[in-house]
Amino acid sequence: MHELSMAQAIVDTIMDAAEKNNAEEILEVTIEIGMLTMLNPEQLKFLLDVLAEGTLLENAKIIIEDVPVEINCRKCQYTGLANTDGSDHYLAIVLCPQCGGRDVETLTGKECSVKNIKIEKSDEDA
Amino acid sequence: MHKIADVEVQHDIMVANRKLARKNQKILDKDQVFSVDVVGAIGSGKTSLIEALIDAMNYKIGVIAGDVISKYDAGRFEKHNVPVVGLNTGKECHLDAHLVEHALHDMPLEEIDILFIENVGNLICPVDFDLGSHMRMAVISVTEGDDTVEKHPLIFQDSDLVVINKVDLASAVGVDSDKMVNDVKHINPEIQVIKTSLKTGLGFDEVIKAIDLYISGH
Ligand SMILES: Nc1nc2c(ncn2[C@@H]2O[C@H](COP(=O)(O)OP(=O)(O)OP(=O)(O)O)[C@@H](O)[C@H]2O)c(=O)[nH]1
Ligand SMILES: [Mg+2]
Ligand SMILES: [Zn+2]
Ligand SMILES: [Zn+2]
Repeated sequence: MHELSMAQAIVDTIMDAAEKNNAEEILEVTIEIGMLTMLNPEQLKFLLDVLAEGTLLENAKIIIEDVPVEINCRKCQYTGLANTDGSDHYLAIVLCPQCGGRDVETLTGKECSVKNIKIEKSDEDA
Repeated sequence: MHKIADVEVQHDIMVANRKLARKNQKILDKDQVFSVDVVGAIGSGKTSLIEALIDAMNYKIGVIAGDVISKYDAGRFEKHNVPVVGLNTGKECHLDAHLVEHALHDMPLEEIDILFIENVGNLICPVDFDLGSHMRMAVISVTEGDDTVEKHPLIFQDSDLVVINKVDLASAVGVDSDKMVNDVKHINPEIQVIKTSLKTGLGFDEVIKAIDLYISGH
């Protein structure tokens, strides 16, 4: 899987935002992972911890939020949460809960996104 | 004095890849190149199928060959006298739009009509990464077992054409290729599924027709 390269991209994104905002330390980061990505959140979390070592991110609390799958059914026009067969991240088969159809457009569930970070910085440059 | 600040980042890595993919498509469109992302299981026959298409199709073809470690597949394509750019993906399990963008710079786009991009043999990871191609063709083979499709639904949901290859071996490996076809149809009712054998030539003309049709509809 590509958790390592995604974790690296996430860390790069966080560091970029932290630097732009003159962070001295990063306290918390919130990451969103769509249920339809081929990413395993636990493995991702582990790799983020490894990559964080010795950086501003070292002591941050890392929060990973699952983003559920929302769809628009082309057959019955249902819009809302999909039925994902109770399956996990790797195998989610997207079904329309109203008509059981599979001809659906996915609206959410493919995210791998750094939502926000909480940082500590000195007052002067505020 | 220190203070604590909340910083909105809202940077989606997947979206960043999709943006690059759109840029790739613009680069391709500028030279009127139609591009096919060829995904599929390891050893399913992706290289063999592209090689056969190079020889059979009436188009000028170029190939980007994604390979995990070697440039072995690139070497196979070069023997067909077409422009080839090999991409060593290193430890990566898929190509992404950024890697393809680099390869596009080395591809003489003004000289070709169709660009095949052979993705890394993997039914899971390429799903997440659009490359900017106009069409995605998934190549699997009966030797992966007839539960392959059920186990990897997303790649079939995201493809435009599915090839089930090596049907000449179906009875030898005790696999029901019709089950594989039905499984694909179950996941993606609209999609065309073609059973092929690159050994006997079965189904190969249909693949050419399907790609031709896609190009003319494009
Ligand atoms: N019997 C049989 N063998 C085939 C068929 N198509 C391909 N092969 C053989 O299967 C092997 C793998 O084919 P490749 O074309 O290298 O497969 P690939 O998907 O490019 O493999 P990777 O790039 O390593 O993932 C080769 O030895 C081919 O000769 C077929 O239809 N029938
Ligand atoms: Mg190959
Ligand atoms: Zn991967
Ligand atoms: Zn529906």
